[in-house]
Amino acid sequence: MVIDNRNPLPDITDSGAGADVRPGPAPAEGEVLSIDDLHVSVHDGAAMAVRGISLSVRAGEIVGLVGESGSGKTLTCRAALGVLPRGCAVAQGTVSFAGQDVTALSRRDWERVHGNHMGAVFQDPASYLTPTITVGHQLAEVLRVKLGLPRRAAHQRAIELFQAVGLRQPELVFDQIPAELSGGMLQRVMIAIAISCDPQLLVADEPTTALDVTIQAEVIELLLQLREQRGLAVLFVSHDLAVITELCDRIVVFYAGEVVESGSAAEIIERPRHPYTQALLRVASVGDFRRRELEVIAGQPPHVGADIVGCRFAERCPIAISACRADSIQPVPVSHQHHVRCVRARDADNVGELVAR
Amino acid sequence: MTVAGPPRMGTVSAAGAATAPRRRRGRVAAVRIGGGLAVLVPIVVLSTFITYSLGALSNSDPAATILGQDAATPAAVARLNRALGLDHPLVVQYWNWLTQAVQGKLGRSYFTQIPVAQSISQRLPVDLSIAILAVILAVVIGGTAGVVAAIRRGGWLDRGVTVVCSAVSTLPAFVVGIILVVLFAVTVHLLPANGYVGPTTSIPEWLKYIILPSLALSLAVSADIARQLRTSLVEVLDRNYIVGARVRGLPYRRILVRHALRNAAGPALTILGNDFPQMLAGAVAAEVVFSLPGLGQLVLESAETRDIPVVQGVLLVISSFVIVVNLVVNTTLNWLYRTSDGLGA
Amino acid sequence: MTGRRPGARGSGARPRPGRSRSVWGLPSVRIALVILAAIAILTAFGSALAPQNPLTINANALFQGPSMHHLLGTDYLGRDVLSRLMAGTRLSVLTALEAVGIGLALGAVPGVATVFLGRWFDFTANRVADALMTLPYVFFAVAVTAALGNDLGHAMMAVGILLAPLFFRVTRAATLEHARSQYVEAAELLGASKVHVIRVHVLRKVLPNIAVTTASMTAAALLAVSFLTFLSIGVQPPAPTWGGMLSSDLDYLSLAPWAPFIPGAFIAITVGALNALADAFRDRSSAGALVLVDPVTQRVLRTDPRNLEPVDGDRQSQSVA
Repeated sequence: MVIDNRNPLPDITDSGAGADVRPGPAPAEGEVLSIDDLHVSVHDGAAMAVRGISLSVRAGEIVGLVGESGSGKTLTCRAALGVLPRGCAVAQGTVSFAGQDVTALSRRDWERVHGNHMGAVFQDPASYLTPTITVGHQLAEVLRVKLGLPRRAAHQRAIELFQAVGLRQPELVFDQIPAELSGGMLQRVMIAIAISCDPQLLVADEPTTALDVTIQAEVIELLLQLREQRGLAVLFVSHDLAVITELCDRIVVFYAGEVVESGSAAEIIERPRHPYTQALLRVASVGDFRRRELEVIAGQPPHVGADIVGCRFAERCPIAISACRADSIQPVPVSHQHHVRCVRARDADNVGELVAR
Repeated sequence: MTVAGPPRMGTVSAAGAATAPRRRRGRVAAVRIGGGLAVLVPIVVLSTFITYSLGALSNSDPAATILGQDAATPAAVARLNRALGLDHPLVVQYWNWLTQAVQGKLGRSYFTQIPVAQSISQRLPVDLSIAILAVILAVVIGGTAGVVAAIRRGGWLDRGVTVVCSAVSTLPAFVVGIILVVLFAVTVHLLPANGYVGPTTSIPEWLKYIILPSLALSLAVSADIARQLRTSLVEVLDRNYIVGARVRGLPYRRILVRHALRNAAGPALTILGNDFPQMLAGAVAAEVVFSLPGLGQLVLESAETRDIPVVQGVLLVISSFVIVVNLVVNTTLNWLYRTSDGLGA
Repeated sequence: MTGRRPGARGSGARPRPGRSRSVWGLPSVRIALVILAAIAILTAFGSALAPQNPLTINANALFQGPSMHHLLGTDYLGRDVLSRLMAGTRLSVLTALEAVGIGLALGAVPGVATVFLGRWFDFTANRVADALMTLPYVFFAVAVTAALGNDLGHAMMAVGILLAPLFFRVTRAATLEHARSQYVEAAELLGASKVHVIRVHVLRKVLPNIAVTTASMTAAALLAVSFLTFLSIGVQPPAPTWGGMLSSDLDYLSLAPWAPFIPGAFIAITVGALNALADAFRDRSSAGALVLVDPVTQRVLRTDPRNLEPVDGDRQSQSVA
């Protein structure tokens, strides 16, 4: 299926249950996913873990979410997928898929969106697959139930899909249960299942984190291939900046539940404007392998849901000023499609120090 | 009547089998069943021996009883004893009895001279029907309650089910039976309080007579199953693989049955397996409360007249049921935990 | 890492070590104790406390409902129900205790001993226990009356014999759990005799388990005796028994549909109280951790009776329960 700006995205409720899905904010052309001012509460409303997140993914685009653990990346993904864990809820804001508001979608409607329009892969693939059913049957099940394929055709197609994601000997893999496969193979299986019904968007929550480096590279290669062949848009979450820079077209930087910087990958890497992004790049030593000292960012992120006036990074920021703690900080456009949540974003002395080092 | 579930004999840890690699599972299973037989034989021997030696406990002389007061001359008694094989040592008597029993011959009643096997086979279907129906009811009622409670976790339905389960668990089965009789037979006149009609005569009638005793028998087991199933299912529904199944867009009902229940049903099935062997004994107890013409009545009447062969025969039948069902249950559970489920998934 | 204790039911919260003493304060335990105390008094003083003579027939007052004169009404012969219940308590309780006593003696003693007496003894004892468990409780007792005559004492003796395997299983499991802990090995290494080890270390941990089992088994025995008397085993009318009252109430159900609820509730409450006690103490029976120095390596070990692995005292993160 070729997706481009002239070809409008299909209506997700094409089976006619339009009454359940309200139109959301008008999408920019070709936007697959649009998150607007999302707030997510946790612990049954006791704390607000995600505050005012806005981001979007266009058709065929790979967007990377990067940040420390607990920064809200995973919750944002879960909210986008409609599978928030128990005790968590969307407190404010909207999530739109292909122009339709899915924030409060019913379970039945989500069943239609999942698989057909949105797929997902997660960090620990073994735990996201049913332990007592062979992986082949789990994929074939999706094909039979969602695409209506008869049993034999589903079996065949499953093997083809396994082949397409790079599994050698797919017929053997078909009959294995998750416990019998390695992490890398399981991740490919998950990807195969996620794309089996040809979704427009793949949400990938740290899919390479638990894999070793060579397998990581292969999975990244696979995702790029899928984007080429199918026009698949990807929302890719990771705390590993190196992986993000290899893969993503655009990067969104998370800190303590907020987006602190977002823009094209090239922009962010070469001209990071937010002190946190700069520190991240420094720590990851992206592009610079001659660093000799181990760099850390001093201090700790604030507790999840902590109420802080002003910039949430101010505590640890080397260039913080009094204005940083005065009032809530709004994102500031720095260049085309590059936004930074920092009062000093445009300051002359805040040009990317990374290159200098 | 079920009490704090006695552990199954020869219990094998089923959980251990789940993690064995598939290649080795066949061999592991074979060893277990084999080991089971070596355990089984002593149990069968001991159990049947105890049953048989009840007769030896009795200080009444069966020959004299059979002949009656008048005809019981010492000579006649001695002759009858020889004929009945009662002059052999106990172990020999036991062995003769057991070998005969395996062929289906359980001797004759001291009083009516009716072959014991005949009396038993006339009455056994009553208790078997109750036992089997009770198991079915337990699975249906307990299973449904457990699933509903787990799905609507935290809601009023969940809490209601939990309370009812606790209450029912502590009620003795025969008290439950009496309550049911009061409610359905006397107050409402919906179902009969006693009597019996076989299934060959009329199935709806038959069901009318056995539904109450079966229900009484099944309630305690249902409660245990429901409680366990709820706990397991709630835990499984929080697992990652259920999220994984959801994001694939599978319909909720399918996820519930094929992904969640499949993994959550184990402990509940184990509970059912624990209680199943005692079902026939329970059925016999329930049948007495409802005055159905089953083995229980037979035992009571025979005990009153000290008709030992009949009593021995019934005990043998009941204990055989326990042993056989135990074996079947153990084997089934092992098999269930052994296969990785590619069946129609 | 904590594992589930064998035989543990997932009932309610597990008490933290600091709170283990507060079991006596639980409302369910207190109510249960009150009920059982009342039953104990009734057992001891029986019919002396009853408001009326349980045997007095009054043809004019058949099937009366509760009234000032007859607090729980009258039965099919005009006798006071409450008095009959109170008088019947003694027989039920004493025979139940007889059964439990036999079960305890025949079951708990071998249960503890089997861990120390070698493989053959263990195998044989287990087979005997299994064999006994294939026999149905009550009907075996009925069979015994066929052999020995219609005597409730004999019947309950049979029940006791059939309770023994349950005692055996539970005490054996508990003893196994504790006897193989490292602290027992350590004590033996230090030179203690086997008997001493059993008495001092193992028994102390196993006795709570035995107590809990005894409570549940007493409940089972009470049910057994109620059922036996319901079947008219060992009952010499017109002596009142709980089960006997249930039975005659069933006969006249159409005239007095409420009647069986009264002895039924009596039985259920007593049984419930025993079970509640057993449940409340079940969690408590696993006492807290024991600190011991490994005499060989001088490492500090800590064993939690809930799992059999000793825990290296050096490791910081150990979350229990």
